[in-house]
Amino acid sequence: MSQAKKKNFKIEPFKHKVEMDPKYAEKTWKILEDAIHEIYNHNASGLSFEELYRNAYNMVLHKYGEKLYSGLVNTMTQHMREIARTVEAAQGGLFLEELNSKWCEHNKSLQMIRDILMYMDRTYVNNFNKTPVHELGLNLWRDNIVRSPRIRDRLLHTLLDLVHRERTGEVINRGLMRNITKMLVDLGPTVYQEDFERPFLDAASDFYRVESQQFVETCDCADYLRKAEKRLNEEIDRVTHYLDAKSEPKITAVVEKEVIGNRMKLLVEMENSGLVSMLIDDKYDDLGRMYNMFHRVSTGLQTIRDLMTAHLRDTGRQLVLDPERLKDPVEFVQRLLDEKDKYDKIIQLSFGNDKTFQNALNSSFEYFINLNVRSPEFISLFVDDKLRKGLKGVSEEDVESVLDKVMMLFRYLQEKDVFEKYYKQHLAKRLLSGRTVSDDAERSLIVKLKTECGYQFTSKLEGMFTDMKTSRDTMQGFNATLAGSETNEGPTLAVQVLTTGSWPTQSGARCNLPTEILSMCDKFKQYYLSTHTGRRLTWQTNMGTADLKATFGNGNKHELNVSTYQMCILCLFNKADRLMYREIEQATDIPASDLQRSLQSLACVKGKNVLRKEPMSKDISEDDVFLVNDKFSSKFYKVKISTVVAQKESEPEKQETRQKVEEDRKPQIEAAIVRIMKARRLLDHNNIISEVTKQLQARFLPNPAVIKKRIESLIEREFLERDSVDRKLYRYLA
Amino acid sequence: MCEFSRQEFIEGLQMLGVDSIDKLKYLLPSLRAELKDEHKFRDIYNFAFGWAKEKGQKSLALDTALGMWRLLFKERPWPLVELWCQFLQAKHNKAISKDTWSQLFEFSRIIDPSVSNYDSEGAWPYLIDEFVEYLRENQSLEACTSGA
Repeated sequence: MSQAKKKNFKIEPFKHKVEMDPKYAEKTWKILEDAIHEIYNHNASGLSFEELYRNAYNMVLHKYGEKLYSGLVNTMTQHMREIARTVEAAQGGLFLEELNSKWCEHNKSLQMIRDILMYMDRTYVNNFNKTPVHELGLNLWRDNIVRSPRIRDRLLHTLLDLVHRERTGEVINRGLMRNITKMLVDLGPTVYQEDFERPFLDAASDFYRVESQQFVETCDCADYLRKAEKRLNEEIDRVTHYLDAKSEPKITAVVEKEVIGNRMKLLVEMENSGLVSMLIDDKYDDLGRMYNMFHRVSTGLQTIRDLMTAHLRDTGRQLVLDPERLKDPVEFVQRLLDEKDKYDKIIQLSFGNDKTFQNALNSSFEYFINLNVRSPEFISLFVDDKLRKGLKGVSEEDVESVLDKVMMLFRYLQEKDVFEKYYKQHLAKRLLSGRTVSDDAERSLIVKLKTECGYQFTSKLEGMFTDMKTSRDTMQGFNATLAGSETNEGPTLAVQVLTTGSWPTQSGARCNLPTEILSMCDKFKQYYLSTHTGRRLTWQTNMGTADLKATFGNGNKHELNVSTYQMCILCLFNKADRLMYREIEQATDIPASDLQRSLQSLACVKGKNVLRKEPMSKDISEDDVFLVNDKFSSKFYKVKISTVVAQKESEPEKQETRQKVEEDRKPQIEAAIVRIMKARRLLDHNNIISEVTKQLQARFLPNPAVIKKRIESLIEREFLERDSVDRKLYRYLA
Repeated sequence: MCEFSRQEFIEGLQMLGVDSIDKLKYLLPSLRAELKDEHKFRDIYNFAFGWAKEKGQKSLALDTALGMWRLLFKERPWPLVELWCQFLQAKHNKAISKDTWSQLFEFSRIIDPSVSNYDSEGAWPYLIDEFVEYLRENQSLEACTSGA
């Protein structure tokens, strides 16, 4: 160090530095070199940090940074090589332990060395773009030990072997593993990934491929899934304990692919234990596990969903087309509801209310319910049964829940207009025979139908209820007039006046009413027409009921609840003891099929045979003779014989209803066509068909051929015309 | 049906420049030749419907229609005309609507006799759909019997 001599105001430029004596540099380096040795030999305690730091500082300051740095590199490399030899020499299990302990020491040493050489790190290293000391230490470790040819493979195999052993059930030293993997991570991201992670993943892949094959051959589906879940959890656990966190998604992806992804179809289709049997046996836990596992794989849930849909459609189709089941409509519908409940539960408990599964369920139901054309009729019969007796004594909430379930089935129907027709018929019978369990329940269902289908659907049904109420009021008024008049005796008449448009159309029913009630009937007609001029009343004799008090020859007295026809027949026996079929026919003028049915229910049904028939055959023939059954007995005072109950239609009745429905559809289709053409003015054939279908689909699915015929009819009536240039276009004629 | 009013008769012949039977005879071949033109034929064909039907009726009686078709298609041969008439007598037996009448001409014009280019979505009247079905059934029947 020299100082510029002070002159008079003259400051000389700094000419040259006094260089460090090269021998001095060598000496300084030697001190440091020795120190490094001592550090590596665990003899650092005797060293003075201050002195060493100063020495390093001086070297760098005097431009000996390079010597210092290269010296450092050489010395450290030497030590690395020694350590490598020690590690290589270690036997068996000690290999990893040796590596680990040497690594710990190295890190400590490196820290000390870096502290000593901090000045160099900050100046020389920066200025000359050299690798900083710490990083240098890691790189040297990496290159000389971890990637040394004799250590590299051995390290990998040891690690993989330990993992494999752990997978097969052995307990291994996880702490040691963690340290080693951490070392690899510290050495640089690529070291961990290339030297360990990638081979680790490959090994896992092989392992699981083999194991899953074994499992598939020996386990059933539920068992397999349990094992798979276990393995997956194990791998996640493994990562948490001794692998780098970034490996987790990668290893889980491997497991998912080998154990689940590649085996999905096999698992799901396993006989006697796969998805189908789980569904049949309501194995909620197993199904839940399957859902969670398959969720992890890209097409997993779809696999489950597709098979579930196929199975459901198949089961549904069998259910719906099985002739045995079709014998009891109420059972039929109940079975459908049960099936829906079953799957709702599965989706809720096992599939986490997954919407896509709900949709699959809905579409399957929609598919097979409509396979049977009688579904609308049967659903209406089910409702009829519930409203007549099934819901007796049931709480309001439960009633609501049953009706909601019925609505749910209703929504699946394609031919809602058919349902409407049957519902109307059945409702009429319920109302007129007074056999409804709860007025509130009836109205509640009407409201639900209105919400679903609009006012149009339910307006006539509501009309029926109104008629019933109005009739009650009318009866009050009528009875009041009777009370005043002389003839207070005679049969009690209860009349329901029905508005023709609201009630299901009846084929002209007529018969000769017995004289016992004729005068009362006429009185009523007079009364009614006096207050409602301009109306016409017709007795609907096929829909009424009567209560008759009967005294039999054996002294038994009973009250008989019968249909109007049956009343006409029985009243004849007030004046005659025996009557032939033909006589009865003539006197009552009841239509033949109804007459036969009524006679059959009066004479041929055990427990209800108030009449006797000669001969005692089951069928009614025109030569039969009828007598009162004086030996009639029943443990009930009131005996119900009426036949006015809703039941499954016979073939010819079914055809008739079907025809009516088709007839009703024609004007609806025409109205839709006109609406559409009025708005669009000019439209081609195919578009009309699709628009009409769309407009009507809430009620039924129109047949394109029928739509075509309606178009032609409209052309005939000059509502539409064909375009003169393009024959496929139709034009609206205002 | 098939009536000309006196007025129409006189005006029509005036327009043709005809005032004697010989002149009419002379003109007939050229008039007939006009039918070879598709547009002219169509006009006359469609006119025939209104002219042949009874007054006050909307549709044309079947027998009259059959006769008309045979007559018209003599001038402009259509190979399926007999089968069409056969089909109607066997399966339809009702009067013919205007739309069916006019569409039949288009059918004869567009669709080839083997009905290979028939488009079921082609907005053809329902009766013609049925006719095509009838043809196809009979074709396959023929194929069966001829094969046997």
